[in-house]
Amino acid sequence: MKKLLLSSVIAMASSSVAFADTYRPECFAPAPGTSTISYDAKDGPYKIAFVNGFAGNDWRIQAIQSAKAWAARPENADKIDEFTVVSVGNESAAQIAAIDNFIAAGYDAITFIAVNPTAFEPVIRRAERAGTVLVPFDNVLDTDKVVQINESQKDLGALKAQTVMDILGGEADKILMVNGLPGNATDRDRRLGMMSVLENVDGLEIVEVVGNWDTGTSQKVVADALATHGQFDAVVSQHGSAGSINAMQDAGHPIVPMGVDGENGVRMLMSELGIPGVSASQAPAMSAIALEAAVALLEGNELPQTVFLPIPQVKSDALEAGVNYFPDLPKSFNTGTGYAECFTPFTPEELLGQSPDDS
Amino acid sequence: MLDYLKSNRREMIAALVLIVLLAVYLGTHPRGASTYVMTIWANQCLILGLAACAQFFAVVVRGIDLSVGAVMALSNCVASYLLDGSAFGIAIGMVAVVVVGALCGLINGLVVVYGRIQPIVATLATASIFVGIALLLRPTPGGAVNYDLADAMTLDVLGIPTAMVIAGVAVIGFWLPFRRTGLGLGLYALGSSEQAAFQSGINTKFIRLAAFTLAGLFGGLAGLFYSFVTTTGDAGIAASFTLNSIAAVVLGGVLLRGGVGSLIGALAGAFILKTIAALMFFSGIPSLAQPLFEGLILAAAIAIGGADVLRARNKLEAFS
Repeated sequence: MKKLLLSSVIAMASSSVAFADTYRPECFAPAPGTSTISYDAKDGPYKIAFVNGFAGNDWRIQAIQSAKAWAARPENADKIDEFTVVSVGNESAAQIAAIDNFIAAGYDAITFIAVNPTAFEPVIRRAERAGTVLVPFDNVLDTDKVVQINESQKDLGALKAQTVMDILGGEADKILMVNGLPGNATDRDRRLGMMSVLENVDGLEIVEVVGNWDTGTSQKVVADALATHGQFDAVVSQHGSAGSINAMQDAGHPIVPMGVDGENGVRMLMSELGIPGVSASQAPAMSAIALEAAVALLEGNELPQTVFLPIPQVKSDALEAGVNYFPDLPKSFNTGTGYAECFTPFTPEELLGQSPDDS
Repeated sequence: MLDYLKSNRREMIAALVLIVLLAVYLGTHPRGASTYVMTIWANQCLILGLAACAQFFAVVVRGIDLSVGAVMALSNCVASYLLDGSAFGIAIGMVAVVVVGALCGLINGLVVVYGRIQPIVATLATASIFVGIALLLRPTPGGAVNYDLADAMTLDVLGIPTAMVIAGVAVIGFWLPFRRTGLGLGLYALGSSEQAAFQSGINTKFIRLAAFTLAGLFGGLAGLFYSFVTTTGDAGIAASFTLNSIAAVVLGGVLLRGGVGSLIGALAGAFILKTIAALMFFSGIPSLAQPLFEGLILAAAIAIGGADVLRARNKLEAFS
């Protein structure tokens, strides 16, 4: 991350700062101080591959389904000659080999969720030589040479904290923060985002617990926090927020403003219990935006080097069954089915109609 | 010639299976048999190939080394600190990385020989220690490896993948001469029958120590080559390589009961395993079904290797 910050500083100095004249800035919003990248336009239809790493959780499965749903939409299907998804497991050498194989096979663009943020420099150079566009997303790289798609994790944290403080009128005595997996850049940035808001509140006591982004762990640590600290004015949770809500219900804690994640089950609870606050998360539909970005680049458009997508979010009063949460779908379904600023979000039917397999 | 083929039939079968699989792979690859495709394939194969060589030295003396992946992870993390900077520094760094691997192997050997602990238990314990040190060195993936060096080691020499050249050097430059030395013969003697070897005046302690040290040395080489491919240090790579190295030696005709097999077989087994994985790539088989198909091909390949048991007139021959 330090390297990334440094490189964006350098990019700024070299006067190629991204302005609003990049392609569709309402969707592909530039990160602060990032440079821009464009390639010579190529004629379609294109051969595109999505090289996933690990495939063993709901988020990744839904990311694969989103990518396929994107490729299945008629307006995209026309532009695509071949679309392939592979999952190579959690090994960077295997992911490099997979990307190399697609470069060798003459693919025009490859999107991927990097297993390791530092292992891809040589493969980026080989892709450049072969004229293949690489678009990493979600787990991005320490590089300034390719367009990367992500949400700002700091903004995501700040959004949740700001929303609950706004509801409380800017004043609170005690707030509970449920953090994610320690030692991880995403956890660090989300926490920093939350702190950037909460630190400015006078006399606020911040209680932090480690929820590991997991519903079960969150439920346990929040129950412990409630037992030792009594009542909180608000709760902000990175992920696994259903566990936090359940623990509060079990302890008979009154309903307070919350900043929570975007799982279907969390929104169901929010609506059912009338919890004020905001539900927002890293959306698996990001895989589709990465493909959209790849096509935009192949068509010769200019994009910011680091794209921070507009964070999909729903305030509690805007919750609507069948629109932004789905009572008849599993609780683990991620409501991040799209980015409205980029294209019409996928319907659950569109996603669930796609198999999590390779195509 | 025929005698040679007969006495090395395990390696011959492995080589034949490998050639068939490689032909199918190149046949299904949209780009066909180009230098680039061969290079990608050879790099993947050599990483596991060197890990399988490490495993071979432990297995041939009737041991097993569960720390192969851990030694790779540790040497990979060490490499990510040492392989950048001046040419001289890098040269020393490469030697240091391999020495780290060999030292890990020596520690394994000492624990097994003088601690009198079963290799499977000893190396399981040391594996945790090695990964622990690797994690201290690199809590998160990072570091850098000189790109020019990495390119030189992972691309090609006059159209031949460098990885194949390295494999060739390991076989012709190291294994074939080594096998004829006292130590080389001692490995087989010890693996076949420790009692007989001891009574013939072989220093069994020394041979076993040497075998585990060689295992560590090749683990270090595997970690070094992994560093060239990924140009970064990652402590999390241990798990998959240990088990795959065992599968590779079995596939290459090295018997887990010791005393049978060769480095060439271990390399061939590793290459087969990685070619099967590569084969899945453009096969169009859904990814969730790929482990099933990989397993089926693996089982078939091992069955072919073991088929000569069926020909034996007397079951005792299978154990001769």
